Amino acid sequence: MLSLTYIVGIASALVIILLLVGLHLPSVMPDNEKLSAYECGFDPMGNARLPFSLRFFLVAILFLLFDLEIALILPYPLGVVFSENTFYNYWLVMLLVVVLTFGLMYEWLKGGLEWTE
Amino acid sequence: MAPVGLLASVSKPAWRLGYVLRPVAVSCVRGVSHLENVGKGTFKLVNPPEKEDKTLKEITDKAATTLFLTELIRGLSMAISYMFREPATINYPFEKGPLSPRFRGEHALRRYPSGEERCIACKLCEAICPAQAITIEAEPRADGSRRTTRYDIDMTKCIYCGFCQEACPVDAIVEGPNFEFSTETHEELLYNKEKLLNNGDKWESEIAANLQADFLYR
Amino acid sequence: MILSVIHIFLYFVPVLLAVAFLTLTERKVIGYVQLRKGPNVVGPYGLLQPIADGVKLFIKEPIKPSSSNPSVFFFAPMLALILALLLWMPVPLMDAFIELNFAVLFVLAISSLSVYSIMASGWSSNSKYALLGALRAVAQMVSYEVSLGLIILSLICLVGGFNLAQFFSAQEEVMLMLSCWPLGIMWFISTVAETNRSPFDLTEGESELVSGFNVEYSGGPFALFFLAEYANILFMNVLSALLFLAAHFSLLGVAVKVGLLAGLYLWFRASYPRFRYDQLMHLAWKSFLPLSLGLLMLNFSLPLTFSGIGGGL
Repeated sequence: MLSLTYIVGIASALVIILLLVGLHLPSVMPDNEKLSAYECGFDPMGNARLPFSLRFFLVAILFLLFDLEIALILPYPLGVVFSENTFYNYWLVMLLVVVLTFGLMYEWLKGGLEWTE
Repeated sequence: MAPVGLLASVSKPAWRLGYVLRPVAVSCVRGVSHLENVGKGTFKLVNPPEKEDKTLKEITDKAATTLFLTELIRGLSMAISYMFREPATINYPFEKGPLSPRFRGEHALRRYPSGEERCIACKLCEAICPAQAITIEAEPRADGSRRTTRYDIDMTKCIYCGFCQEACPVDAIVEGPNFEFSTETHEELLYNKEKLLNNGDKWESEIAANLQADFLYR
Repeated sequence: MILSVIHIFLYFVPVLLAVAFLTLTERKVIGYVQLRKGPNVVGPYGLLQPIADGVKLFIKEPIKPSSSNPSVFFFAPMLALILALLLWMPVPLMDAFIELNFAVLFVLAISSLSVYSIMASGWSSNSKYALLGALRAVAQMVSYEVSLGLIILSLICLVGGFNLAQFFSAQEEVMLMLSCWPLGIMWFISTVAETNRSPFDLTEGESELVSGFNVEYSGGPFALFFLAEYANILFMNVLSALLFLAAHFSLLGVAVKVGLLAGLYLWFRASYPRFRYDQLMHLAWKSFLPLSLGLLMLNFSLPLTFSGIGGGL
């Protein structure tokens, strides 16, 4: 029985060995064309550090909210098992879920979930 | 389109939530709601529009279709049915498909049964070759007959049109049935007379059979 | 100590082997569905094909694009595979390596970390295709993670604990797949989307993005990504089997269920056309999320209504 730290170490070691084999076993013959970033067979036009659609940020923020919610609710089942005042917990969690549901509804009605304008 | 519609139909309960909420929403955020005109003008809806007033039966049917994934399962069974049909492919390098006698493959220079080469260096093939892949040089041989001293085909220029074969008055240059002559370098594909005559010797039986099968139509 | 290390290697290596043969199965199944035969030259029935593929990938030249950010560029595939291997740790097979009381949390945490490897690879490649592919992949994985989390929360409340082994005892009477039908199917579809599999493989989108976040990778680093992706797929199936289909514990039973689920993944890929991106997002945010929120409330209320938490507690 090993601790998690050892297991992470061993997994990393295995993967690093694989990566090193992959990097050093084959003969490497770089040239300019090979090393340029791929773009339909010609040289890349412009920088790849582009601004992108704001929708992705919106999704990220929504995810943050809902994941936070999940993180907040996660201890609840243990609360049901071990805690004294179950119903207080229950209503609190329900309140949280309802508030977030209303948040989702608001976002939906505002059009924040639409991907096509 | 159908399977895309299927999974989208999973979203129906949620959409109905939207329908229920819409009057509330319009009164709450009047003028701000984008729900009404989303997607209008940007793309065309090809599905028939959703009916507003469904009967209970229609609602139940729809819900059952969604809940039990009937359309998804129909798609899956369609795919799996193909798994048990005969594969359309052949096991290529081990078994080969049929070739027409008119198939135009690798070139060959043929000989007469006596062993004398057929080519008389008339240069008709060189003249007709649209890709100008053929180069011929000729001079009289010691016995006085006119023969080629050089007969080169650049197989990387050749477009395999078969004109050389048709132009040849003595059936010397032919395109044989061989199509597996890939090489690792360009130079190996610049054929000379020796290589072409060797091809002719190697494939003579097949070439003769093909000419025999096709001579009525020439 | 040494024995334990060997033990762990003996755990990782079969995972990687299983991944290798999953790719072969995939190519075979899709081949037969498309009326062709798939790989059948290397070894009997093409059985050695994955080995040939692996050898080929590891002796192929690894390319480091000149515009890339090298350390991040090579760190990303490493992270992906490490996380994919770590995910397998808490699986309660005969004798789990670590008895985690919060195995579900561990799985959730590690699987959300794998988003970073994709983001790192897409950003550090410094190529437009890779960047767009990574953005799409991240948005998609993140969206479906929410519904995965909510579904798992419902289950935890029914089962009454975070221990994966507890799911076996909870499902002695009836599989959760049957008692939580819409949750089960939503979970399965979400896992398909979470692992970026067809019909949700928009991040790959050959027609417009060539290959998505891993366009710039070749040789060894690409192999790592590939292994990680398929290890994740297999693990998601193991998780589905544990969460929803674990009627009685037997190693063979779990293996068969995982195999069938993995087969279903391949079958999906052979059957369905790809989603449009807005449909994908609508499915996650407008159907799965509200539905799983509602079912979450139901599943929170049920145990209290019947005054008891599942799993005989």
